[in-house]
Amino acid sequence: MQKYAMFMFSVLLVAALLVACAPPTPVAPEKVRVALILPSTIDDLAWSQSMYEGVKAVQAELGEDRMEVTVTENLWNPVDAAAAIRDFAEQGYHLIIAHGAQYQNSLFEIAPDFPDTSFAYGTSFKTGDNIFAYDPQAQEGGYLLGIIAGMMTKTNKIGVVGPVEAGDAVKYNYGFVQGVASVNPDAEVSVTYTGSFGDTAGAGEMAKTHMDNGADFLTGTAQQAVGAIQAAKERGVPWLGSDMDQSVVWPDTVMAAQVYNWKEVVRRMVDARVEGKKGGEHLSLSFANGRLSLHFNDRFNIPADVKAKVETTLQAIKDGSLVVPLPSE
Amino acid sequence: MINELLKEGALILILASGVRLATPYLFAALGEMIGQRSGVLNLGVDGTMMLSAFTAFYVTFASGSLALGVLVGVLTGGLMGLIMAVVSVTMRAEQGISGIGLHLFGLGMSNLLFRLSLGAISTVEGFRPLSVPILSDLPVIGAVFFRHNVLVYLAFVLVPVAWVVLFRTPLGLKIRAVGENPQAADTLGVSVTGIRYLCVIIGGMMSGLAGTYLSIGLNNMYVDNITNGMGWIAVALVYFGRWHPWGVLAGSLLFSVVNALQIWVQVRGIAIPYEFAVMMPYVLTIVALAFAVRRAQQPAALSKPYERAEA
Repeated sequence: MQKYAMFMFSVLLVAALLVACAPPTPVAPEKVRVALILPSTIDDLAWSQSMYEGVKAVQAELGEDRMEVTVTENLWNPVDAAAAIRDFAEQGYHLIIAHGAQYQNSLFEIAPDFPDTSFAYGTSFKTGDNIFAYDPQAQEGGYLLGIIAGMMTKTNKIGVVGPVEAGDAVKYNYGFVQGVASVNPDAEVSVTYTGSFGDTAGAGEMAKTHMDNGADFLTGTAQQAVGAIQAAKERGVPWLGSDMDQSVVWPDTVMAAQVYNWKEVVRRMVDARVEGKKGGEHLSLSFANGRLSLHFNDRFNIPADVKAKVETTLQAIKDGSLVVPLPSE
Repeated sequence: MINELLKEGALILILASGVRLATPYLFAALGEMIGQRSGVLNLGVDGTMMLSAFTAFYVTFASGSLALGVLVGVLTGGLMGLIMAVVSVTMRAEQGISGIGLHLFGLGMSNLLFRLSLGAISTVEGFRPLSVPILSDLPVIGAVFFRHNVLVYLAFVLVPVAWVVLFRTPLGLKIRAVGENPQAADTLGVSVTGIRYLCVIIGGMMSGLAGTYLSIGLNNMYVDNITNGMGWIAVALVYFGRWHPWGVLAGSLLFSVVNALQIWVQVRGIAIPYEFAVMMPYVLTIVALAFAVRRAQQPAALSKPYERAEA
């Protein structure tokens, strides 16, 4: 009798263990709590605003009852941001997006302490168990916009007002220079940097100096670029944009722009959590996967041959027959 | 590089750009200098500039009147100066700390008001360049100095004005006395509190002009953190200029012309690492400061609250 009881007990124990180990049955999706840490502001017309709008678009898609969003702005300094990241993790946020490459070290330090929390950052490809890395292939849009500038310039001088030689700015500029060279080897592209992401006055002055030097096409990245766009507007020189389409504010100046569609990236991270993946994915933004797109401003008469060249190049980039190379490091 | 630089055209462009860039520093540093001459260190310059940049922009945006924009920008600066004066002169708070507080207030307030009122980047038709008749036709000098907008002229005119007021009028004597030896000035019947209020408020108004110039005279738009730290450089330029209007002018021009030069060097594609180029104005200013400060005579009562000894 006792033996029988022991046997039954063992069977029950094994059964219980098996149940415990079985894959969990899908439960009602949790309300995903997302914290967004931005180096600049939600209205910077560049890097930060494009991500903010992407997150809000996902929230609109899922509904506010299924996604909560908290935003902290102006945390350019990684040390201040690290405190905020840890704070959000302790408050139980599920996905913490630190929107900048400068947060990499902080994230890799903090993430192991919160294994159930997902973290995300970029521009980068280095992932962790619970860290997503996103990575705009900005050189692709740079290349396409470079074709426009290269084919349309009359002075053969083109100015680039960059922020800091890092992250997606370098990729963009590198692609832009190659794009110009692919259609117009005689054109001179002058790549300059203000040394700051937020120096709007400096960017404006840099744009003026480019124009004084004869540039008849200008481009540039980051939130400082607005200073340069306004300077371009005042002298009637066209601007080629990135991150966002700034023609909303400068309809007669921004001729075309590469746009980051963060929505799809954010959606993928939220979905990955539902699948049980807390990180480890390298999320590329490219024209092939639709996370990058090119906007033309209809107010400009871009010649048909320029548009056609951009279009065929875009197809080549999409199908992989053209790979815009990046600086080798 | 030297050959290219010596071409008249290049030099004129660099110097004209330097004059444009020097203007906000000149306004802010002259104002800060006046406050410090009376013995008050106001570190709220940067925040004051931001708040004035916003209010001037907003009023111009809403009313279409640049004059009204300037007026409101200056009044905003004056109000910030008044706050600083109440806290540091009347309440005798530690000046360094209260100035940083004032800066943070301006920083936060300008961002908040911008978000609440405009919420997105917009632009205005700012001040246009106004060529000074005859003078603008002078070779080199004409293009460098006399083809700017009216705020640029105002900044440069304020240099001799500040010099005359400080060193050639009874008021200037009182200001300097209050900054050097408030006890003695008080004994002679000079109102230490009154002079300090006046100087700090004027200083605030000039920081206000600096911010106004940024948003409706140079950028013609308002963005968050529009100063990008210019107010702090302005405070450093007061030390650089040894509390003297001409010294402040020299410092502002040195810093800005070197900045314009490094931009030009980059645009011309001259092979210098851009990090080095961007550093140039700061490095040169620090080097010059190191030499200047040896002979510096800062106002003896600077940053010391005045308390009348009760008999």
